[in-house]
Order: sequence, then structure tokens, then C-alpha cells
Amino acid sequence: MYSINDELKERITDLNELLEGKYKAILGKNGQELRNFIEENIGKIQHMKKLDNKKLKSFYDNGGIVGVDGSNNRMGGAFPHFVEVYQALAKSTSRKDDSVIKTDIYAPLIELDENLLENNEKIIEDKKNIKLSNLEVEAALDSIDKFRPFAILMDGGLIRYNIYAYDKWQELKTRCEEEGIILIGVIKDIKTSMIGDKMKELNPEIKGRIYDREMLYGVLEYGEMILIQHSANKKELEGYASVFLRSSLQPSVIGMDIIESQREHIEEMARLVFTLTPENSRGVPLWLDIVDKEVKITDDIMRGLMERYMDRGIYERFFVSERDKRA
Amino acid sequence: MKVVGITTQQEFFVGSKERNFRINEFLIIEDTYQGPLLGEVVEAKTYNRYIPLNINGDFVDNSVLESLKSLGYDIDEDTIYIAKVRLLNEALYPVQTGSDARLPKFHEIKDLMLKTKKEEGLVLGVIRNTDDMAVEMDDEYKNLVYTFEDGILMPQKELPYIMDIRSMHQYPHIGVFGGSGSGKSFGLRVVLEELMVQGIPTIVLDPHYEMDFSEVAIEESNNLPNFNDKFKCLQIGVHVGVKFEDISAQDLKNLLDAAGRLTDSMNNVVDVLFKRRDSYHSFANRLQMLSEAQEEGSLGKIEQRIENANDDEERKAWKARLDLYEAYDKACPYSSVRGISWRLRRLGNDGVFSKNIREIEEGLQNGKLIVIQGSTRILQVFSTYLLSNLYHKRREYKDAVYKKTESDYFPPFIIVTDEAHNFAPKGYDSPSKSILKEISQEGRKYGVFLILATQRPTLLDETITAQLNTKFIFRTVRASDIQTIKEETDITMEESKRLPYLRTGDVFISSASMGRTIFARIRAAYSSSPHTINPFDELKGKVKEEDDKFYNLIINKLPINDIDLVHICMDIEKEIKYTYTVDALEEKLIQMVDKGYIEKEDTIFGYRYIKK
Repeated sequence: MYSINDELKERITDLNELLEGKYKAILGKNGQELRNFIEENIGKIQHMKKLDNKKLKSFYDNGGIVGVDGSNNRMGGAFPHFVEVYQALAKSTSRKDDSVIKTDIYAPLIELDENLLENNEKIIEDKKNIKLSNLEVEAALDSIDKFRPFAILMDGGLIRYNIYAYDKWQELKTRCEEEGIILIGVIKDIKTSMIGDKMKELNPEIKGRIYDREMLYGVLEYGEMILIQHSANKKELEGYASVFLRSSLQPSVIGMDIIESQREHIEEMARLVFTLTPENSRGVPLWLDIVDKEVKITDDIMRGLMERYMDRGIYERFFVSERDKRA
Repeated sequence: MKVVGITTQQEFFVGSKERNFRINEFLIIEDTYQGPLLGEVVEAKTYNRYIPLNINGDFVDNSVLESLKSLGYDIDEDTIYIAKVRLLNEALYPVQTGSDARLPKFHEIKDLMLKTKKEEGLVLGVIRNTDDMAVEMDDEYKNLVYTFEDGILMPQKELPYIMDIRSMHQYPHIGVFGGSGSGKSFGLRVVLEELMVQGIPTIVLDPHYEMDFSEVAIEESNNLPNFNDKFKCLQIGVHVGVKFEDISAQDLKNLLDAAGRLTDSMNNVVDVLFKRRDSYHSFANRLQMLSEAQEEGSLGKIEQRIENANDDEERKAWKARLDLYEAYDKACPYSSVRGISWRLRRLGNDGVFSKNIREIEEGLQNGKLIVIQGSTRILQVFSTYLLSNLYHKRREYKDAVYKKTESDYFPPFIIVTDEAHNFAPKGYDSPSKSILKEISQEGRKYGVFLILATQRPTLLDETITAQLNTKFIFRTVRASDIQTIKEETDITMEESKRLPYLRTGDVFISSASMGRTIFARIRAAYSSSPHTINPFDELKGKVKEEDDKFYNLIINKLPINDIDLVHICMDIEKEIKYTYTVDALEEKLIQMVDKGYIEKEDTIFGYRYIKK
């Protein structure tokens, strides 16, 4: 039998009440009110149609769609006794047996920085993001040479490449602009807070940060998108245009970025994302799911790699933690 | 195609991106260390990692897959095919993972699959899933058979299955198992056809009256064998029977036992009363007189009968009864004598004792297939006598040859029966069982072989089942029978799981001479069973025939007014000597109206039946 501590139950109940209290003012608004607010302050809500096969065929004729995603996995224990491996994949819909794979590895034991003797999670996290972002951008760059695609779908928002892979990212952007390849990012978990921020602007009584995913939950109909206006979008300053869209029957909303210079394609690309998303899914285009599945370094693969290609002695000495030995 | 995953010396997996595998297909594994190895696919699977039931918890709908296809990506192309392969002969080491696999060439498996020339074996069907290899096979193996696929006659595309009949010398006896409608009787028919082609003397016990080979089943082909002079249907009591004068007390007891179970005391009655060279009548008479004497009750009463006799004849008769009474009354209780008496009469009424088995012996001597027909009960009785008789004739001949003495030649032969569990049941004794058991154990030495078919292998005597060296296993649904089959044959777990789903006519042939199980399809029979017409079609046809006959009878008499009916009845009686009553005739006419042959119309004088 499971026995649940009463104190724990209470804590969860309290959390529920706190959340309810905090969001009452905003979430209490009825849907239409909120939609009106969005239309006035954020951007137009409009309905999308799925692309027909003829249109899709024309994409195919112009090089197909490339999906880019990365994956990482870590083996070992606490800092610095671990290895992290990274892998990025660019896969084209039109060339099934041919894809671009980029890999990298990070082992603090080797790259031990004297200044980093203390376990600094932030730095490690940054390192990971830098490696992964660079790999993804490299894969995308290679895919241009290899496939000359019609469009590139990056998994995740584009803005992080500015931060973690600036130089390569500029190169990719430039090439896409020059060669007319549409570059977009599909964001499963949107982390912005545009609507809440706008509300706070208008009504200073609202406290705390309210995220767009909370606000937009259940507000859009299946197949609707919000074309975010210039003034509401902070990313705009960095050179991107964005939309929110509800691409599946699930009430949550995903985001999509496109580079500013290709803004004219934003609707078409939103429709592409919508078309490629199964209606009974979490809202992610199937192509990115397929890429994700292929790029993923599972724990089994990771363990297999380590056990097969590393001497047992070295492996045990450096990378098998006490936790792993627990059966 | 490559070997993937963890391997053993016997089993491993082969994966392919291009080619789907079929069960029972052969593959050659190019093991870099051990050389080429021959394996058989025992399980086939396909897998697409992008279309499991869901991806990351999402259900994928068709429109998205269609859209992806338009973008150039066909998700089906990412399907991979996986086969579980078992080596025919165990390897020394586990098979090297990563070894290439390929389809074998015909010459590489020829010796395994085709052990006999078609002239020397029974061409029973085709080996399933061998069409890739069959392309390059020698001409002598091509176009030997037809198969029925979904009711359509198809030319041969696969390797033929040719059973080596000569190997029965080392691996005697065949079992044919399968539920009803599985193709078992049909398979038996094909075996018998081939035995006729080979001219092998054969006895068939046919309780279903279905083993007739005179009707041609395949009209498309013209050079088919004709069996008309190769087989003979003989009915017990009509064509063949037991020659009473030739039987021993033991034979007689077996026969009587088959008519009705004998008690110890009845057995004793036969032993005491039956004399060598007795005829049916002399023995029946003896039983009759003894029981009449016993009915009198005592010696005194019989003596009184003698004294009071009206004439010499009667006196003599009672004297004879008295002798019998004195000699046998003690040993033979009245009820047992009566019991033997009615059993004997029952057999006599069936005609069992009115004929002999000469025709059977002659047929066998001429290499014919002899079909013995009769009800199951009478067949049990008769086969007991017949089989032991024939078996011992053959045995005497062989023993004589061995002892270098003179004896008439008697050929080796094969005994075939359907519903074998009736002849050799498990768990209790039956007269035919003992002779079948004897043949199953010793028949090999004398060249007498069994082919036993049954839908209930579980009910067949185990000693006999154990002696069946080749087994044809058709579709079987019953769990207990599948269990028996698993125990009695070398079919694998995977194969036994397929048993309930086999198509009619598909069969696993587990043969000691082949050393492995072959998945085959029985060929189309050249002849057809008299029972193949659907009873409902038959009914329809019969009704139509009757109606047409009646219509022809009345067509010239139309129109028929209601007042004419009596005259019509008389006319018909004259014409065909069949009397209709007016009511019966009217009813028949109304039926004809219903069925649209004729019409009924009202007139001012009443009504009348007219032509349509």
C-alpha cells in the first residue's frame, strides 16, 4: 500500500489554492474578453487552413523541408566525473537515406579549467547550450550545402542561437537570406510573457510574471494563430517575427519564430507547421518528432557506447557513480 | 539482409530494410568464420519505429502522413523487416553478428528439399514459400502439380514436395492429423492417388464411402492419370466377407466381440463349442440346439421329450440336444450361449459370413488399391479379421524366404484408414487395435505399413502414435490435440502456435527421414470425392428437377379448368402410372403458379390454369 504523508498532501493543497488566488484576476476573464484584449494589444487572431498537397509538392520540388534537432545525454556521477555527448541532426523530407549528423563531447576531467574547480552548474549548463546550439547550426549549415532545402525547421526558438552560437548563427541567417531558404523555429514550450506584461502595463496592480502559455491555454480554437505585432514583441528587436498557434486539439499553444527579413512567409510557414501536426498530438509537427526520435541518445545507447568503447577499468574508475550501482 | 542482435548457435535474428520475410523461408548466412550456414525463418515481423501506435504519446493521423508524403517522405519506407532464423544444423559457434544473409540458390538446397526423383516418390504437393528458389529448379521438377489457391487452380510455382516412399522402410508409418475441414481427407486422397500411380498394393478402410477415384476433378489438364483400373471399391457383405470355415476360435471371438462386448463366460462358450472347420450353419445350429436343451431345464425333461416324440426325426433331434446338454451345460451357462447366439446372428445378417476375401487378395497381388466400405462398426469387425489375415500371409511368406522354405508370394502392402481413433482407440481395448498395434511395431520388417488419419490424435493409441515416423499435420484447433501433436512430433513452439490458423490444405510435414518439419501445401487432387456437392445445392437441384418434370407433364394439358382436374388426374395416371388425388394435383398446380411456371386466371365459370 502507498501511504502518503499528510503534511505533503496539505502542501499540495496549499499550492493549488495559492495558484488559484494568484491567477484569479487574469484567468477569471472570460475567453472572449481575453481574445479582445489580445486582438487589441498583441496581434490579430486569425484562422489557418491546412496546406494542400499541391502546395506541399511545390515545397518538395524546391528542395523539401529540413528538420533540425539536437540531443544530449550524460553518463557518470557528479562534477567532474561525467561525460556528456551531444548530437545534432538535420534530416530532409526529400532525401531519406541521407542526413547530416554532428556530434561533440564534453568531459570536464579533460577540459578541467582551473577556475572551475568548484562545481558550477551555470557554467556547465552554458557549455552544454553552447555546444548543442553550435552543433545544430552547423548541421543546418551543412544541410544547405547538401539538400538546398525550401525551408529549415529548427526545434526550439531561434533566439537562443543569438546567445549561444552567435557567429555561426549569423552565417546561417545570411546564407538563408541570400539563398532564399526560409528559416523558422518551432517552440513547444513557449516561455514568453507578452500578454501578461502588456496587462501589467495597463493595470499596475497585477503582480508577478504571468507567462503566455498560462494565458493562452484554451483561448485559441484549433487552427487559430496570433500574428504578433511589432510593438508587442521583444524578440523583434533581435530580428525575429513570431506567431502563437494552436496546432492540435490540445488546448495548449505553441510558438513559431521566423527571421525578420522573411516575415512575408510567416503565415505560410505557420500553416505548414499546422499541416504537419497530427490533430491528436501535443502540437509538435510530426517531422520534428521524427527527427527528435532519430537524434535522441538514449540511456541504453549511452551505456552501450561507454561499455563498448571504453576500457572497463577507466570506465569504472571515472564514470560509474554509486547511484548507478544501485540495482 | 544482415544478422542482427544477440545470436546463439541455433537461433538469431536477421534484419532487412528492403525485403519482407516469410515464415519457413530459407536463408544462407555468410558467416565469415564458419562459412555459409543454412537457416530457416521461424518467425517474421515488421517494425516501423515511426509508426508504433504512437510517437512520444501522440497518435499520428493519416492526413499528416499524406502531407509528409507530398513533401517527399514516405514513412512506410522506414519499415524494417526482422526474421527469427533457426539453423538447420547447429553451428559450432554462435553466428557472427553482422554477417550477410541471402536467399539460397536452388542447387544449395536441392539435396535437402528434394530427396527423391518424381518417378520414385509420392508427389504430394508443393513446399511453401520456395518460389524464389523454384525459378532456377531443374525442368524435371517443374509443372508436376496444380494447387488450389482461394478456389482457383494454379500452376506450380514452388518446389514440389516429393515424399520418399522408399524411406518408409527405415521410417515406417504415416499419421495424418487435422480437424474437420482442414484438408485431411483431401490429403489422404492425394496420398492414395500417388500410391496408385506407383502401383503399391493398398488396403483402404473407408467408413465414409468417399474413396472413389473415378470422377476427374481437374478438367484443365489432359494428361492426368486415370485410376479406373487401379482401384476397386468392395463393400462388406456385398462383395467381400469372412469365410467362416477359415477362421480360428480367436478370430471368431474378435468378430463376435465387435458385434457386442463378450464376457469371460461367453469367451469360454466359443472356446468350448467352436470346432475347427465349423461352418456358419453348423456352429449356429449347435448354439441353437444347446440353448433349446437348456430351456427345458433338466436332463429328465429332455428325456421326457425324447420319449414323447411324435416321430423318429424329432426323437433324433432331441437325442442330439441331449448329447450337447450333457457335454456342455456345465461349462456353458444358458445366458452366455444365448449371448453368443444373437451376436453370431447379427454378424450373419450383416452378410459378414456370406463372402470371402479372395477379391481383396487378388487385388493386392495385382498392385491395386482396394477400398473396403462399410459402417464403422462392421469395418472394425471385418478389418480385424482381414488385416490379421493379410498381415500373416505376408509374414508367412517373408519368414519362409528367410527359412528358405517354399511359400506363395504375397506382396508388401499399405493399410490406410480415416478415423483411425475408432480402430485403435486409446484407453480401452478393441479387436482391431491389437492387430494395428502389432503391425505398427513389427510391420516394418515385413513391409506392411500404416497410414492412419484422425481428427483426434489424442484419442489414438499412444503406442501406435509413437510408431508413426512421418506426420502430416493440418489445421488443428483443439488445445488437447495441439498438445498431443507437440508431444508426438518435432514441430516447434512457433509452428504449434500457427496450427489453429493454417489454411485448408496447408500442412506441416514432420518427417524423420527429412529430419525437420516442412511447411507444404497439398496439391490439387486428380479425382474428386463423391461427397463434395453442397447438400443445399443438391436440394435446390432436386426440387428444380421435380418441378421441370411436372411442368413437362402438364404443359400440353393447359389450360386446365377447375372442373377438369379429375380428368387430368386420370390422364396422368394413364401416362405415368402415378395417381394424383385432385387435392394433390391442385396443390402442385398452385406451387407451379407460385414458382412462376404457369398462371392462374379467373373466368366467368370459375378459374383456370394457363400457360405463362
